[in-house]
Amino acid sequence: MAKEQHSVLVTGGSRGLGLAIAQRLAASGYRVIAIARNASKEVTAATAYAEQTGQGPLHFEQFDLGKIDEIPILVRRLHTRFGPLFALVNNAALGHAGVLATMHDSKLEEQVRVNTLSPIVLTKYVVRGMMSAGRGRIVNVASIIGVTGYSGLAAYAATKTSMIGLTRSLAREVGRLNINVNAVAPGFLATDMTRTLDAENMAKIARRSAMGRLAETEDVAGAVEFLLSDKARNITGTVLTVDAGTTA
Amino acid sequence: MGQIEQIAREHGKALAPLSDELVLVESGLDSLAFAVLVARLETNLGIDPFTAAEEAIFPTTLGEFVKVYERGLARDTGAARL
Repeated sequence: MAKEQHSVLVTGGSRGLGLAIAQRLAASGYRVIAIARNASKEVTAATAYAEQTGQGPLHFEQFDLGKIDEIPILVRRLHTRFGPLFALVNNAALGHAGVLATMHDSKLEEQVRVNTLSPIVLTKYVVRGMMSAGRGRIVNVASIIGVTGYSGLAAYAATKTSMIGLTRSLAREVGRLNINVNAVAPGFLATDMTRTLDAENMAKIARRSAMGRLAETEDVAGAVEFLLSDKARNITGTVLTVDAGTTA
Repeated sequence: MGQIEQIAREHGKALAPLSDELVLVESGLDSLAFAVLVARLETNLGIDPFTAAEEAIFPTTLGEFVKVYERGLARDTGAARL
């Protein structure tokens, strides 16, 4: 019996964690739409690989999620092309490190717009299709930093905590319509986002974790895959931490 | 109207008799059901006049709700649809 293929939208899907999530879900049999401002060698290769191996498919769609006004148009375009989305993974985010007292207002605004406002507005438009279809899964990528804080990442942490509030409230709002909303809270991962943290700091964080190492993007991708699966049908409104025990 | 009745059935809600004067908050549909209605109308008609509006619109009666869509569809005629 052919199962209806489910479509998943992964934001920030061209690199790092987003790409790992997109690849994992494509390998799992989902049709994946990865969105980012720019394509990358890696996502192009991943798209080709998925096609060759009969996975996915994995599509890349270029879009700047910072352009809030264009989000409804994006969602309508995707809906027309792919039908109502089964799942949304709000992963795209950026981070500027620095002391809050001297961080330029434009950088503060950008983090709030891209990391908080954009996923909220995107979720608003995507959840409609899910509500209409009576099923859906939303996974918001938060961060352990949204819970513990980190010196030099005040605004970033604020935006990551916002994903937890969004998760809990929305879960309560649409649960009745069979839509599960959860968050994953990754610890420090080795991606472009943490490249500016020097090796010594990263090693220190790794040493202090319960497992004495850092989690990897594949671990978080696995958690997302689980939350999208039938096994997680009664899991909603919660935060799944994937940090090798840094916050244990 | 068919959509409203279907949603009421799906959500197990008792629907008040439908007329232009029906006050929406007394219709038997809650805000969640209305959100589903707006989503389905968007799929069927291709527009969401509430989002397209400059400010938030709050129709009070069923008649006003229908007018919001009629105006939206009239505006949309001739405009490129995605």
